[in-house]
Amino acid sequence: MRIVITRTGGFAGIERRAELDTNGRPDATHVQALAHRALAASPAEAASVRGVPDGFHYEIDVDGRTVHCADPHVSHDQRELIRLVLREGA
Amino acid sequence: MMHSTVAEPDGMRYGRSSMRDTARHTERCHSIVLIGAPGPDKAGGRCQIRAMSDTVKSVFCTIVPPHVLDRLAQADDAARADLAQRTLEHDSLQRTRRRVTALRGVAAPAGTPSDSPQRTIYDAGHRATQPGKKVHSEGDAPSKDATVNRAHAGLGATFDLYLKAYGRHSIDDAGLPLDATVHYGQGYNNAFWDGSQMVFGDGDGDVFLDFTIPVDVIGHELTHGVTQHTANLEYYGQSGALNESVSDVFGSLIKQYALGQSADQADWLIGAGLLGPGIDHGVALRSMKAPGTAYDDDVLGKDPQPATMDDYVRTSRDNGGVHINSGIPNRAFYLVATALGGNAWERAGKVWYATLTGGELASDAQFADFARLTVASAKSLYGEGDEVQAVLKAWSQVGVPAS
Repeated sequence: MRIVITRTGGFAGIERRAELDTNGRPDATHVQALAHRALAASPAEAASVRGVPDGFHYEIDVDGRTVHCADPHVSHDQRELIRLVLREGA
Repeated sequence: MMHSTVAEPDGMRYGRSSMRDTARHTERCHSIVLIGAPGPDKAGGRCQIRAMSDTVKSVFCTIVPPHVLDRLAQADDAARADLAQRTLEHDSLQRTRRRVTALRGVAAPAGTPSDSPQRTIYDAGHRATQPGKKVHSEGDAPSKDATVNRAHAGLGATFDLYLKAYGRHSIDDAGLPLDATVHYGQGYNNAFWDGSQMVFGDGDGDVFLDFTIPVDVIGHELTHGVTQHTANLEYYGQSGALNESVSDVFGSLIKQYALGQSADQADWLIGAGLLGPGIDHGVALRSMKAPGTAYDDDVLGKDPQPATMDDYVRTSRDNGGVHINSGIPNRAFYLVATALGGNAWERAGKVWYATLTGGELASDAQFADFARLTVASAKSLYGEGDEVQAVLKAWSQVGVPAS
């Protein structure tokens, strides 16, 4: 499973993008389950995806399936996945 | 620090690097990653690097400014690139265009609002929750937590400028209590206004430090609240860049007012003191005096802000470049303030404040609309004089028509 996270916006306005492939990872099962939950947890309301001034926007792409979310309306699973892939606080 | 020793070929940023370069690049990223994330998952890091080494396309794992990524997305053929660009813009508009709920017209509560702020600080305990646990109220003695004290002081400095310079009672001009959440998330590299309160991250300690450190960042965020309650500028494209610029202008004025600095004494930087030890070449996140010069670093990339319309950046990213093109109106304000001299929050600040709050500024205003209204505000406040001339000249210098 290939997971690509793109983070845009934020006070600094600096974009960040990172990719993770679960192949060969000892925690592949855990990460794949997390990614499925992150996709499912995408908020249905457009207002949540629009975000707030200076808030981060995230694009989560899992094997071609894409969801968008924005702070502060990011589910626990989405945030955990974002932190894992971007390897930075979220 | 490691990234100071690695020279990065320009081509790498544009996705034309060799396999060898890519491998070196990912290795560098790996180092950054480990410093930025002291978490337990180092095995994951190794797997990630292996996966990335198999991918020839480079730019993963780096912090890339939007303009660089846009170049990546551009095709060689100009017409095709243009089409792709417009598609991207449309797509992004549909996806991310948003309007903060207009609160204009909401009646102020009866009675005169207080001339004192009502501040409350909450601690999220490094979780991404709001507001968190209440840890400090208005009358409390200083906390043992410096972050709490800085947030409290920054909210106060913001309240002070708006009240004393412009007669505004808090964010909504009706005495809105000022709430802030600190220690939001883990190593969280951001601060934002959520529509009703402030949220501050601690930074990862490498790229960014604690977001409560620069008072102009606190002022910037709270000014998003003022804009929300007044012109409610749409956070996309030029109106979004104006929204950002207004936050930078008043964020900087809050700092200047707190420090008692005149226009020629101010640094005109946004986010000075915020960059961490991982950044070797940078003084702040934005420069209003010289947009595009705040940083040029292998981790952050180069400050992409233009100073004039000639260099206006067309992009679908960052809500249409709201943090990029804000450099143009930022510099216009700097030029007005320094031409007039003295304290920037006085004449220059009053002209901008009257423009933002006067009721004429449309939520989808473009740069030229804003420029024309600053001229009208200068005339109505000060008549035909130095102020109007300074405003006209500043917009002319940045290439925005103002008449």
